[in-house]
Amino acid sequence: MENPIWGNSIFRKKKKEDDILTLLKKEPIIKMGDPGLGMYIIVKGSVEISTEEGKDEKNVLAQLTEGSFFGDLALLDESPRSASATALEDCSVIGFFRPDFLDLLNRKPKLGIKVLFALAKTIGERLRRTDELLMQTQEKKSKIHHG
Amino acid sequence: MDKYTYELYSQLLKTSWKVFLIILGIALAVILFPYAKDILIMFIIAWLLSVLLSPLVDYLESKRLRRGWAILIVMIIILALVAFSFSLIIPGIIRTVEALTTKLQSDVINELSVKIEAFFEKNFNNAELARNVTAKLNEIGVSLLNSLGEFFKNVGSFLASMVIVPVITFFLIKDSRRFKRAIISQVPNKYFELSLNILHKVENQVGKYIQGQTIDALIVGILSTIGLFLINVAFEWPIQYFFFIGMLAGLANLIPYVGPVVGAIPALTIAILNNPPNLGIVLIWIVVMFILVQAIDNALVSPLVVSKSVNMHPLTVIVVVIIGGKIAGAIGMLFAVPLTGIIKVTLQQVTWGLKKYSLHSISRLKEETILKPKGGEAA
Repeated sequence: MENPIWGNSIFRKKKKEDDILTLLKKEPIIKMGDPGLGMYIIVKGSVEISTEEGKDEKNVLAQLTEGSFFGDLALLDESPRSASATALEDCSVIGFFRPDFLDLLNRKPKLGIKVLFALAKTIGERLRRTDELLMQTQEKKSKIHHG
Repeated sequence: MDKYTYELYSQLLKTSWKVFLIILGIALAVILFPYAKDILIMFIIAWLLSVLLSPLVDYLESKRLRRGWAILIVMIIILALVAFSFSLIIPGIIRTVEALTTKLQSDVINELSVKIEAFFEKNFNNAELARNVTAKLNEIGVSLLNSLGEFFKNVGSFLASMVIVPVITFFLIKDSRRFKRAIISQVPNKYFELSLNILHKVENQVGKYIQGQTIDALIVGILSTIGLFLINVAFEWPIQYFFFIGMLAGLANLIPYVGPVVGAIPALTIAILNNPPNLGIVLIWIVVMFILVQAIDNALVSPLVVSKSVNMHPLTVIVVVIIGGKIAGAIGMLFAVPLTGIIKVTLQQVTWGLKKYSLHSISRLKEETILKPKGGEAA
């Protein structure tokens, strides 16, 4: 499985140390507002990413399947989770957490830097996409404004 | 019995079983504690050592050394240093105790007694009071020596049983991640991130605290040794074994508030027993030196190296030191404050985790899963 964060080779090396979680259908993996601790990669099954608007209301942002990942920003800081992730069916996920990441940077800096670089690349790409979306929105807005 | 009642009944049974197991566990721990005390102390010391040495092992591992080899190298260096220090300190301890015993049996005490009696007779015109005071001082001196002997006897037998500690330390460092994962794997999914986060934070803060305390004790020990050496140079060597006494002061510094006073007592005792011509000035200099070391420690060293998250009230310190002494003697007194610090950090982090993580919404899910039929489709 090719992973966008650390690619094939490093992924294989990391797999031994990762945590595999088995989840039941509807079981929450992360909750919006909780302190972030790490990212998850879906090994089997599918996961729903959503934001909670009210007590019982939720806004579904995406449905992720095998090979997808989420929560990667939490590897860098402890800011609250911006969305919740819930198992849509019985599934398995691999967790990669900040303590492990910091430990990896400490003990195997070269490997840690590779992961850090890939993480920065992913965040950079996401930022570029957000910029493009923002520009498109602004263009649409100015077109509407000028008739 | 309908399905809802059955599920509730089985849940109640599970909870009762868990409570019973917890109570049984606590009862067993209380019953077995006296027998397992020594092993427990060994494990605690090995764990403290593993926390202390892990950064060095990590550093060597970052230099592309295998973890097993890195641990072995660090442990050999540490063991060699400890053996070297003991080869210097143990003869010093024996000589000090012998010298103190000789001094106590010699005329020095009598001379001091005569001086004190004369002082009391001159100033208070009460010879009876003077005799009482000197008799009491003699009594204290003898009991002090006896307890000193007992202390080193305890340390000796304790050290003899400590051969196993390096082995435990080795495995605690080598397989720390495996142990952590074994603990975490027992935690239900809903508490997974909370537990992992708390474990990480506790590990981090405890590590910083232990490393900080060790560096602080070492610096206080070195400063006290230098101070005693300077007093020796200035006043024709009134304090023998100043290296041992200085390092003992550093070790005593692990106990806040009480430690600095305890650290100064051996130096003052030896100076009094040596009875140099300018005893008063020497004693004042020793007190001034220890106050100066404490001032430097409090103003410069401690704020930089010791974590503030484990600050304790003086009363708490005194109580835990007494309890530590009751449980494990001198070693217990020494480790009482660090261990209380560790418990405090753990409680702080658990409280933080319980406040920050939305456990209420998870219990909402629990209600749903209780009622969910096994293998059935949930809404």
